[in-house]
Amino acid sequence: MGNLLEIELKQETLVTPAQEKEGQTFLSGAQAMMECLLAENVDTIFGYPGGAIMPTYDALYDYIDRINHILVRHEQGAGHAAQGFARVSGRTGICLVTSGPGGTNLITPIADAIIDCTPLVCIVGQVKSNLLGTDAFQETDMIGVTTPVCKWNYQITDPNEVPEIMAKAFFIAKSGKPGPVVIDFARDAQAAKMTKPFVYKKVEKMVSYNPRVVPKQEQIEKAAELINKAKRPYILFGHGVLIADAVQELLDFVEKTDIPCASTLLGLSAMPNNHPNYMGWLGMHGMYAPNVMTDECDVLIAIGMRFDDRVTGDSTKFAPQARIIHIEVDPSEVDKIKKAEAPVIGDAKEALKMLMPLVKKGDFTGWKNEFRKLDVKEYDKVTLRDLSQEGKIKMAEVVALLSDKTNGEACIVVDVGQHQMVTARYYQFKKANSFIASGGLGTMGFAIPASFGAKVGAPDREVVGIIGDGCFQMTIQELGTIAQSGLAVKMIILNNNFLGMVRQWQQLFYDNRYSFVELQNPDFITIARGFGIDGHTCSERETLSDSLDKMLESKKAYLLEVIVEKEENVFPMVPAGTSVSEIRLE
Amino acid sequence: MTTYTICVFTENTIGLLNKITIIFTRRRINIESLTVSETERKGISRFTIVIKHEKREEVEKLVRQIRKIIEVLAVFGYLNEDIVYNEIALYKISTPLNGKSVDVETINKVYKAWVVYWGLDYVVIEKTGTETEIFDFFRYIKPHGIIEFVRSGRVAVGKTPQGLIEYLPEEITEWEYYL
Repeated sequence: MGNLLEIELKQETLVTPAQEKEGQTFLSGAQAMMECLLAENVDTIFGYPGGAIMPTYDALYDYIDRINHILVRHEQGAGHAAQGFARVSGRTGICLVTSGPGGTNLITPIADAIIDCTPLVCIVGQVKSNLLGTDAFQETDMIGVTTPVCKWNYQITDPNEVPEIMAKAFFIAKSGKPGPVVIDFARDAQAAKMTKPFVYKKVEKMVSYNPRVVPKQEQIEKAAELINKAKRPYILFGHGVLIADAVQELLDFVEKTDIPCASTLLGLSAMPNNHPNYMGWLGMHGMYAPNVMTDECDVLIAIGMRFDDRVTGDSTKFAPQARIIHIEVDPSEVDKIKKAEAPVIGDAKEALKMLMPLVKKGDFTGWKNEFRKLDVKEYDKVTLRDLSQEGKIKMAEVVALLSDKTNGEACIVVDVGQHQMVTARYYQFKKANSFIASGGLGTMGFAIPASFGAKVGAPDREVVGIIGDGCFQMTIQELGTIAQSGLAVKMIILNNNFLGMVRQWQQLFYDNRYSFVELQNPDFITIARGFGIDGHTCSERETLSDSLDKMLESKKAYLLEVIVEKEENVFPMVPAGTSVSEIRLE
Repeated sequence: MTTYTICVFTENTIGLLNKITIIFTRRRINIESLTVSETERKGISRFTIVIKHEKREEVEKLVRQIRKIIEVLAVFGYLNEDIVYNEIALYKISTPLNGKSVDVETINKVYKAWVVYWGLDYVVIEKTGTETEIFDFFRYIKPHGIIEFVRSGRVAVGKTPQGLIEYLPEEITEWEYYL
C-alpha cells in the first residue's frame, strides 16, 4: 500500500515534459477553478472542507483576499445560505463541499433550488478518477444522485476541462429558468496541472441549450388582443417576475392597463402591497378575494408562474371559464397544468416590454371593487380575529407589528409552516426581493441558513428570519456560522410548541388525532447565547413592541423568541385537492 | 393504448441515457424498446424510444420535458403511421441430425428471413421486420425448437421528405418537437 500512495502523490505533482521544457508551469485544476470563479465575479462561497476537496481548499488559501469563503456548520446550511444569497441579490450562489456525505448533505438544497428556480453552482469533491466506481472512501455517485434534482451536472476528471465546464455551469445556472448545477470535481483533476494556458471564455449560448429571452412577436400580439378584449382580466404573477428583474415593467403594465393583480407565494414583494391594483396573494393559505376571483375573471394573465398545485387546488376546476395567457420562460411549463390559449415563451421583462405599446389604457374600477367587497368578508372573519389582541400573543400580530416597525422594507426570510403563511399574509412588502421562502419543496430548516445567506448577499438591508420552533431545530447549528461571521442577522422564533401546520391538518382533517406534533423544546435563548448570539424571550403582549425594538436596534445578530398561542389555525384555507371555491374562512 | 415512437437527438456525453430514462420513470411510463447510436453527425447520438400511452397530451408533456435536458438537441414524437420502422431479430433454431430439416426456401421467400450461421446442430436465422412480422415468423419456426431468441429495439425514420438531422441547425435557437 505504501507504494501505491507514493505513486499517487507523484501523479498529483506531475509536470508534463512539455511544460518543463518551456520552464512554464500551468495552473492546477483547483487554481483554474478559482480563476473561473473570479472571472464570473464570484466573491462569496459557502462551503465545508473535507478529504476529496482539499486540493481546491488549498488553492483557495491563495485567493482569500478576493474570495470570501464562509465556513458553515453543515453542508445543508451551505446550500440554503447560497440560496438566500442568490434570491436576495439575483447573483449565482456558490457551494463548495467534499465528496460522499458532503455532497449528499447538499441534496436537499439542490432539490429546493431546482423547484424554486434558484441559480446555484455546487462544486463537490470526488474521489480520484482511478477510484471511481470502486466504493472508495467517501465515494458517492453524485452524478447519479443529483441527476433528478439538478438543472445540469458534470464530472470533471481532467484539469483542462475546468474553464469550459465552469463557463457552461455559470451560464446554465443563471439563464432561462435558473437552477442548480453540480460540478463533481475528481481529486486528481483538482491537483493535476493543466497542459495548456488557462483561458476563460464566458458562455452566452450553447448549441443544445439556448433559452428564448425575447418572445415571438405573433405570440405577443395574440396575448395583447386577448387582453384588450377582456372585460374582467386578472393578472397572476409569480417568482418569474423577480427572477427576470421585471418589477418595474410589471408596475408599468399594471398601471397602464389598470388590471387587478395577485401574487403567488414566491412572487410576493414583486409588487408593493399598498398598490391599488394589488389584490393580495393566492394559494392554499392565500387571501380570499385573489383565490375566489380566479373563478370570475374572463382572461387570466399568468406571468412567471407555473400553476403549482398549491395555487390551483384541483387544477381541473381552476379558472375553467378563463382564457389563459401564459408568459413563461420554460416551454415545458406551458400547457403542463393549465392549457394556455395564448402562450408567450420568453423572459417576463422582455414580454412585458413588448406588450406595453400594444395594450390599451384601461379602467377596471368596477371589477376591482368586486375584489374589495370580498376583502371585507375576509377582514371580518379572519383578520379581525388574528389581530384581536386577545388571549395569548398571536403570530399575526407579531408579523404585523414587525411590518410597521420595519416600514415594510426589511428582507423577510421564512421557514415552512404556519409562521410562513402568517408572515406572507401580514407583512406589508414595499421592496422587491424581500420575501425568501422555500416554496416548492417546503424545506423545514431553510430559514436560519437562508437568512444568513441573504444578509451576506445584502449586508445593507435589515434581514429578519421568521422561524417556527420546529424548523429552528433542524438547522440550529448554523447559529455558529452567523456568530462567526459577525453579521447582524435578526431571527424571530414564533414558538407555539407544536409542529403547527401538521397539527392544524390533524385537527381539521384527521379528527383531532395529534400524532407526534407536540415538541419538548430546549431553551432557545440559552442555546443562542452558547453560540455567542444574544437574545431574549417575549411571552407577554405588553412587552412585544419593546422586544421587537430591542431586536431591530441590535447591531449584532439577535434572537427573539415569542411565545405564541399554541393552537391557532391559519385561514383562509383551500383544503388540498379541492377547488378554490371551497376555500374556508374558519 | 397508442404506440408512440420518440426520437431524441443529443450530444454524446456520459450519463445522458440516465438523464433521459429518469423522466420516463418519474412519469411512470414503461419503455417498450430503446435503441441508441451515433448519427451521421459526429458527437450526436440518436435515441429511438417506443412507449405505449393512452393520452396524447401526456406524451407531448413528456417530449417537452425531455427537451429540457441541457444536452438534448431536439425531440420528435411520432405515431406509427408517420414513420418507417423496423426491428431485427435473431432466432437460434435446433437442427439435430435426425430432426425435421428447416425449409430454407419458405424462410427466404415467404418470411424474408435469412440463415446467417450454420452450426453443427443449430442454425441462426436473422429476420428484420415489424414486431408483428417478427412474431409471425416466431410462430412459424417455433416447432423446430427455439434455443434462443432476441429482438432489437425499433429503429425509425420519418416519412417527411427531409431528414430529421435537417432540423438540427448549426445553432439551435428554438426548441422543436413534432408530434
